[in-house]
Amino acid sequence: MAKKRYGMAIDLRRCVGCEACTIACKQENHTPPGVAYAKVIKQETGTYPHVRRTFLPILCNHCDDPPCVPVCPVGATWKREEDGIVVVDYDVCIGCRYCVTACPYGARYFDFGDNYYEPMNAFEEQPSHEYGKTWDRTNGGSPIGNVRKCTFCLHRLARGEEPACVQTCMARARIFGDLNDPDSEVSRLIAERRHFRLKEELGTGPNVYYLV
Amino acid sequence: MKLNRTVIIAYWALLAVVALVGVAAIAVRTSQGLRVTNLTSLVPWGLWVAFYISFIGLSAGSFLISTLIYVFGVKRFEPVGRLAIFVAFIAMLTGLLFILLDLGHMERFWTVFFRRNSRSVLEWEIHFYNLYIVILLSELWLLMRRDLIRWGQGRGLKASLCRLLALGSTDLSEASAAQDMRAVRLLGMLGVPVALAVHGGTGAIFAVVKARPYWYTGLFPLIFIVSALASGGALLTFLYAFFGRRDKHHRDLVVSLGQMVAGFLALDLIFLASEMLVGLYGAVPDHLATYQAILTGPFWYVFWIGQLGLGAIVPLALILSRHTRASVGWIGVAGALIVVGILGVRLNIVIPPLTVPLMPGIDSAYPLGRFSTFEFTGLAGTLFALAIAAFVIASGWIIAYLTRLPRLPVERWLARAAGLAVVAGFVFMGLRFLDVGIAPEVVALSGAPARLPLFFGGSLRAQDPTFYSPSPIEWLSSMGLVALAVMAFTAGKLLLPLEAEAEPPSPQPRRFPGFEPQASEM
Repeated sequence: MAKKRYGMAIDLRRCVGCEACTIACKQENHTPPGVAYAKVIKQETGTYPHVRRTFLPILCNHCDDPPCVPVCPVGATWKREEDGIVVVDYDVCIGCRYCVTACPYGARYFDFGDNYYEPMNAFEEQPSHEYGKTWDRTNGGSPIGNVRKCTFCLHRLARGEEPACVQTCMARARIFGDLNDPDSEVSRLIAERRHFRLKEELGTGPNVYYLV
Repeated sequence: MKLNRTVIIAYWALLAVVALVGVAAIAVRTSQGLRVTNLTSLVPWGLWVAFYISFIGLSAGSFLISTLIYVFGVKRFEPVGRLAIFVAFIAMLTGLLFILLDLGHMERFWTVFFRRNSRSVLEWEIHFYNLYIVILLSELWLLMRRDLIRWGQGRGLKASLCRLLALGSTDLSEASAAQDMRAVRLLGMLGVPVALAVHGGTGAIFAVVKARPYWYTGLFPLIFIVSALASGGALLTFLYAFFGRRDKHHRDLVVSLGQMVAGFLALDLIFLASEMLVGLYGAVPDHLATYQAILTGPFWYVFWIGQLGLGAIVPLALILSRHTRASVGWIGVAGALIVVGILGVRLNIVIPPLTVPLMPGIDSAYPLGRFSTFEFTGLAGTLFALAIAAFVIASGWIIAYLTRLPRLPVERWLARAAGLAVVAGFVFMGLRFLDVGIAPEVVALSGAPARLPLFFGGSLRAQDPTFYSPSPIEWLSSMGLVALAVMAFTAGKLLLPLEAEAEPPSPQPRRFPGFEPQASEM
């Protein structure tokens, strides 16, 4: 079977800025305060009465040439050969945060060990299932003290499900799929619609396309 | 003036108080993790990284100055040779301790030795650091070897330590000394590129980050090397001026060290000006925003007062001015000021570029601001208050002693004012950590969390997620590590032969025209 290259198209004409993706991501990955793999930049342009509110959902671009990967001194992060997803090995990461400074998209977060409630509430106590493993934050171990990032919900993909942000988007603004497959919906949309990518000029080769 | 017993006790008491508080802070950080810092995912590197690059810089600069003697044959600087390498060793260890503190998983630090990623600058740096430490220790041992054997012949703590460190070597012959010097020269020749890689590479850690225009310039690693030479040389000048042996070469050497440091500092300022003019002229938004943060941001005084005023203009004036250029005391003070000023340079290298959002609105898209969860309550608060009291008493003794040293009344008053300002600053900061020292109404109005040290940062931007001001634990652990480094240095100075054996006194001491040596001069 051919190698996959997972990517996403985000239709900015459909996005209504409801942030359901932000919430779905936080629930799915049990992320603590200050960590949000998916979020929405909200800006106002123009002056009254000619004013417009724009939304730009952002997440890890799973770049073709990710600047965050080579900087890691212990090789704890890499781009997967089989599907192009940029992952972090929580058991190897030493928490130096070099990759956080190196990502041009602010897509990497550090888990400082903060919680929403002191003591943690029942939901926070539940483990995260990133990478198909069980990550328990109640004992102070990894992923606390690690760098965390969007995985395109790798553990859901393994079950044949879409990433949580894609599934939850009520406007169906997010389309996820294999960019190597010319017949996938995401490939067809990118071929047909006008689009841009963020900070392409840095040579990162981002795999999140914004349809305009 | 002879050191009296009280001052020695005050000196060790001061260091011990700061070190103990620091060790307690490190214990809190180790048990609670990085939640006790004020770092965020937007500003993931802060005070500890700034101290780390400062100390690596002090080390590399100090070592490179020692190679002037042993590789390039500048025999004039010989009396500071061993001191330079010893300082380089202590500073290197301190720098590595700072970066260890900064790791999210401290217990995994040793994995860097076998999990290799040859594309990572940081990984290369780790290997250069190790090689560099080996070179430092070998050179230092070879230089001290004969004196260690001689000192080890007596009795007591010092002799036992020297015997132990001589590692069984007993050869005192001139031939063995010549062989030592050949080895030192070879090690030094290897050390020059390694030291350049150690600090140039530390600069490259930042310079390869294309996401941050302020770091992403080819000049950046070179600025690291030049400012390392300035700060390392300045530290040596300060140490040699006040703690070096007062022989006939002392004043000449302090003056020429000072002038060399002034040269490096001037070169550093030229590099800074070049970076700044190009960056400001180009006006790329992110680049411009970083300069705005440095020049007019909440920490404007780190640049204008710390880096430029006290760290460059005042010391250059002291070293070059007709009135002070032959005074050992003032050149030593200039050295200390440059070391502090370069710390400002390091802070401005690490923090302001990170406070600039990577895309407009990305900082406010999701709440990323956070503050340390640590507070001084109960026993910890009481102990910290006692530590502040002990700090004030001990530093009071030392200031009283130091202000008796200078000859002129104006110098004594300046020393008093400077000492009091420093102590007052630290006490004010300590009281802020204890939530004392500012009316609650002011805190409520400014929206500043009570534990934010206003003295070291603005208050109005406390709600801003791009605002970073180090937390109490970050400050206290840093001060503790610095105190431990000073203690290690003092112990080495007392117990190790860091200066070659004295030459017989010469009948005609050389004098500076128009400047009579003073017995009590600082």
